[in-house]
Amino acid sequence: MGGYRFRWDVIPANLEFLLSGLQQTLYISSITLVLAMIGGMIIALLDMSRFLPFRMIGVAWGELIRNTPILVQLLWIYYVLPMALGININAWTALVIGLSVYSSAFIAEAYRAGIQAVPVGHREAARVLGMSSTQTLFRIVLPQAVRMTLPPLAANFVQLIKFSSLGAVISVGEITRRGMELSASIFRPLEVFTFIAIVYFVICWPLAMAIRAWERRLARR
Amino acid sequence: MSTELATPAATKTALIAAEALSKSFGDVQVLSGIDLAIHPQEVVCMIGPSGSGKTTLLRCLALLETPSLGCVRMEGQIISQPDQTRAVKKAAQSMGRDIGMVFQHFNLWPHMTVLQNIIEAPVRVRKTPRAKAVAEAESLLEKVGLSDKRDVYPARLSGGQQQRVAIARALAMRPKVLLFDEATSALDPELKREVLLVMRALAGEGMTMVVVTHEMGFARNVGTRIVFMDEGAIVEEGAPRAFFETPQTDRAKRFLRQFED
Ligand SMILES: Nc1ncnc2c1ncn2[C@@H]1O[C@H](COP(=O)(O)OP(=O)(O)O)[C@@H](O)[C@H]1O
Repeated sequence: MGGYRFRWDVIPANLEFLLSGLQQTLYISSITLVLAMIGGMIIALLDMSRFLPFRMIGVAWGELIRNTPILVQLLWIYYVLPMALGININAWTALVIGLSVYSSAFIAEAYRAGIQAVPVGHREAARVLGMSSTQTLFRIVLPQAVRMTLPPLAANFVQLIKFSSLGAVISVGEITRRGMELSASIFRPLEVFTFIAIVYFVICWPLAMAIRAWERRLARR
Repeated sequence: MSTELATPAATKTALIAAEALSKSFGDVQVLSGIDLAIHPQEVVCMIGPSGSGKTTLLRCLALLETPSLGCVRMEGQIISQPDQTRAVKKAAQSMGRDIGMVFQHFNLWPHMTVLQNIIEAPVRVRKTPRAKAVAEAESLLEKVGLSDKRDVYPARLSGGQQQRVAIARALAMRPKVLLFDEATSALDPELKREVLLVMRALAGEGMTMVVVTHEMGFARNVGTRIVFMDEGAIVEEGAPRAFFETPQTDRAKRFLRQFED
């Protein structure tokens, strides 16, 4: 790489363009997190249902999502789903749907682990005291499960920030796409993609560290 | 045997009773044909080798396990049987509240303070007005000697303190019978004492208690009846003095020998 002359000034010169992409990235990750939390709840309820067909749907859904690449899922939603349903899905919507569906499978797992982490004895104590199963769920199980679920949810948010870069493939204008566009027009891929990697790192790393500290604290209780 | 085993006729007048109760987990039969009637103000201590089915029997009485055969009656009414019909479930729901239980591992809810643990069931199940439930909880805490821990979370308490809170929580529902499942087994010797003292005081007040325990001193001094179990059956029962001084069966004799110094 001897002789390459870095031109870091291209970054400030195009900062606004790149940061508009970052804004999209964070926007998409946030919306997706909320949708995936709802989707995860549905899958978790299916998984834990007393009704066998529901359980089978929940399990099959989770297995399907966890065992196919997310990029293939995105392409499938973008290209195949509109044809199959005869509707129009723009790239942005396809990305949000794809990431939500993908994350929901993992979030469902986090919910389930959170609920299973509540000792059976806590439920039995409630039952002997005459509390109904609904009261037990909302007063005893969920308040404890939610705390266990928060770190994995935050970890999922970090995943979503990174996976939203896949939107670049179907030309959603998040930060990675903006970088591709910029580098194609000014021929400075080295500066542009280095900057983008740093942006991702600066956001994701502190979050990941915070989550680890948080998990350690939960484990100590 | 020193006393007659409970007959079905006796179970109908009992506060709570197991009647011809058997329990299997899969192929393993844990209880076989248990007849046990508990009358008001009795302190029945269940002892026996570990694995003999004491905890399982207590859990059947607490309606945490469903019998494979036979039934559990409360004041004559069936509250649990293999076929949990609507009528049985309804009886269990209304009468089951009168059964309290104290667990080996306390099972306090860690996200609630001591006070919240105690008032939760009275407020939500008995619909006691909150202020009244709080006042009652405070007097219960005084009774178990933990008034100053009212607003503390369980994780900050010693095992003995947690168990005393668990007893207060059970008492807050004003149970007619209180079941203790090895309530002191998980505690260090010096903490056992404070819990046993509370249990002794309760017995003195006339609380009906069924106590699964390894504390022979407590069984002898506080119990009004000893039930000795082995291999899923009641092998011998009788008054504490008679049982400890002149056990009738070889199995009871062998069991008691291990507590001699
Ligand atoms: N949920 C269960 N599933 C299978 N076996 C069980 C279960 N609960 C208890 N057992 C078995 O039942 C037997 C009696 O256990 P338990 O009632 O705890 O005896 P004890 O309280 O006298 O020590 C043991 O052999 C135990 O392994």
